[in-house]
Amino acid sequence: MNEPRILVFACRWCGLIGADAAGKKRISLPARFRVIPVECAALVETDAILRALAGGIDGVAILGCHIGGCRYNNANQTAIKRMELLKDLLDTTGIGSNRLLFSFGTAHEDYQFEEIIKNFFDELAVLSPLDPWLAPFGVIS
Amino acid sequence: MANIVVFLCRCFGEIDNTIDFDFLRKELSRDPSVSSLSIVDSLCLETDIEKAAFQIKETHADKVLIAACSTLSRGNLTVDGLIKEGVERHKIGLVDIREGCSWIHGNDSEGATKKAKDLINMGIAALQHKEVSEDISVTVNPDALIIGAGPAGLAAATSLAKTGLKVNILERTNAPGGMLRLISRCYPDNEDASDKLEPYIREVETNPLITLHPQSKIASIEGDTGNFTVQFSSQGKDNSIQSGIIIVATGAKIFFPTGLYRYGEIRNVITQMELERQFLKGSFDAGKTVFIQCTGARNKERPYCSTICCPISLKNATRLAEEEPGPEVFILHRGIMTPGNTLEKYYRDTLSKGVQFIRFEEERPPRIMGDDHVDHVEVYDAVNGITRKIETDLVVLSTPLVPNNDNARLAQMLGIEVDRYGFFSEIYPMHPLETKMDGIFICGSARWPVSSDQAMTQGEAAAMKAVSYLRQSEIAASTLSRVPGLKSGHARVDPDFCTGCGNCVAACPFDACHLEKLGDRYISTVNMMRCKACGSCVPVCPNGSMQIPEHNYRMVGEMIKRAF
Repeated sequence: MNEPRILVFACRWCGLIGADAAGKKRISLPARFRVIPVECAALVETDAILRALAGGIDGVAILGCHIGGCRYNNANQTAIKRMELLKDLLDTTGIGSNRLLFSFGTAHEDYQFEEIIKNFFDELAVLSPLDPWLAPFGVIS
Repeated sequence: MANIVVFLCRCFGEIDNTIDFDFLRKELSRDPSVSSLSIVDSLCLETDIEKAAFQIKETHADKVLIAACSTLSRGNLTVDGLIKEGVERHKIGLVDIREGCSWIHGNDSEGATKKAKDLINMGIAALQHKEVSEDISVTVNPDALIIGAGPAGLAAATSLAKTGLKVNILERTNAPGGMLRLISRCYPDNEDASDKLEPYIREVETNPLITLHPQSKIASIEGDTGNFTVQFSSQGKDNSIQSGIIIVATGAKIFFPTGLYRYGEIRNVITQMELERQFLKGSFDAGKTVFIQCTGARNKERPYCSTICCPISLKNATRLAEEEPGPEVFILHRGIMTPGNTLEKYYRDTLSKGVQFIRFEEERPPRIMGDDHVDHVEVYDAVNGITRKIETDLVVLSTPLVPNNDNARLAQMLGIEVDRYGFFSEIYPMHPLETKMDGIFICGSARWPVSSDQAMTQGEAAAMKAVSYLRQSEIAASTLSRVPGLKSGHARVDPDFCTGCGNCVAACPFDACHLEKLGDRYISTVNMMRCKACGSCVPVCPNGSMQIPEHNYRMVGEMIKRAF
């Protein structure tokens, strides 16, 4: 069991509110995740996700709004399609699609945020760390 | 070298009981971009904000990083306070180390301290690489344009004129009134439709601020919020109108049930509209009458409930049953839809008048029996499971409202969307009557089938929303945000690298991107009046020439690098 590191891209209108609500309730969570607030889940570039994984971060989570509840005229639907395509790419390259988590609509509530983060930590804990695996190929800049 | 002042907020021990501030101080003093670091008790207090602002001015700091609570709790108060003290908004960065760190990692002090260090480092990176979007502002044309002179459009026009604004109404037919001209009475107060319409029509005719253009046909609509130009022809003459906003109140049309329940094949099977026409002509002896609900609605093709057909049937059934001697009236239904206080009372009143209700199922619809006129109706009563034979003189079909044929064309001209049935769609969860284009509003049955009084309410509501635009002499693009506060920015194209592939044009949910010719090639340009800074265009750009300056790729990359 290693200690995974997680990067979370949280949409300002759902995921971040869920994270904030979890904070207000002082729900205890593992400390090894960092949140980057974004305006919309559709703003998260696949490039940024790949860069994070290449940098040795074990998992990336994207938390967006409920389907049909997007503040930006259903921009999150295109984000879902993009993430599905990215999952295929991650499987093909051998990184594994289970290192990418996207949740649309479940992160607005604090306990669901807790559940998502904890489950993702558990899932990643059984995988081998990306760091030593990528280093020999010179992927890490 | 950026000159960043960092403030660490103790929050009276809420933060520094978990996070080791001495460690943070040691780590941050090594960072060359941090010029000074101060630890304060509580940055949301006014005195501390004043002190911080004084310090920022004294040290001539370029940028300020506040590590305190989240934006949603009290962080925004700190930021607003600093802005009030004269610090520019884009120079302030806020890092959440209370909700996002100390409170959720209370039992892991070491991890929390490391996380706080990383978060502050990410915040510094964000501040260093953040850019500021351009902003434009346009002069607003104070005139309003309303498409459609039905109850919704008339209500919108009169309430806009009451505030002293000039209103133009485009009407397809030759007189105002819309569908109210075709019916005899309105539910639920059984008022004469002409009485209801009369004050509005008088207002339109006498008020010099309101101009009605009958028999008009729209050729094109151009422009953005604050400045729309509409080309149209009215009574054969071409004309053009400038307006600041557009209210779409085009209404809906009535579904013709050709082929259903032998309509059009035998006499005495009529629609509600034909019954209304009979009422308008004067009193007539209907005899025994059967109303059939949900004709062509709530089926596979049209799964929606039109919401107005049940109350209309109740209205006309009561009217027939009230006559002396009252004929027997039946309503065959698939569940009576009368939501709300007034309509439920209306239903109970109808019951007390002796109107009989029989529920049938979609799979076993009533059958009209008879050779050249209706003899009787056979219906399977779903409640007690027997087939009833109702002798009748008249069958009235309740049909739903369906969208106008040219809705899609009009929506395309306006730059808004229609839903899967063809009604105009609004921004669903939180912005009723607003469309994805700021300054274009929808109301009445163009949006969804509604009764006349609801249409009038919506018309007035749309007018009030419109006033908030028209009362401003200038609108800045950054204020056209659908969310609390200002927009977070505008997308920006790098014209040197844009290849004009058009991916952003396809991805933009607000039609803000379009291709423009630059020399011998095409490049994408962003219309800031429409851009909402959602960033949908950013990930689809193949070479990164489309960026949100407030959230650019350098900033994200640097944040990721410093995340652990």
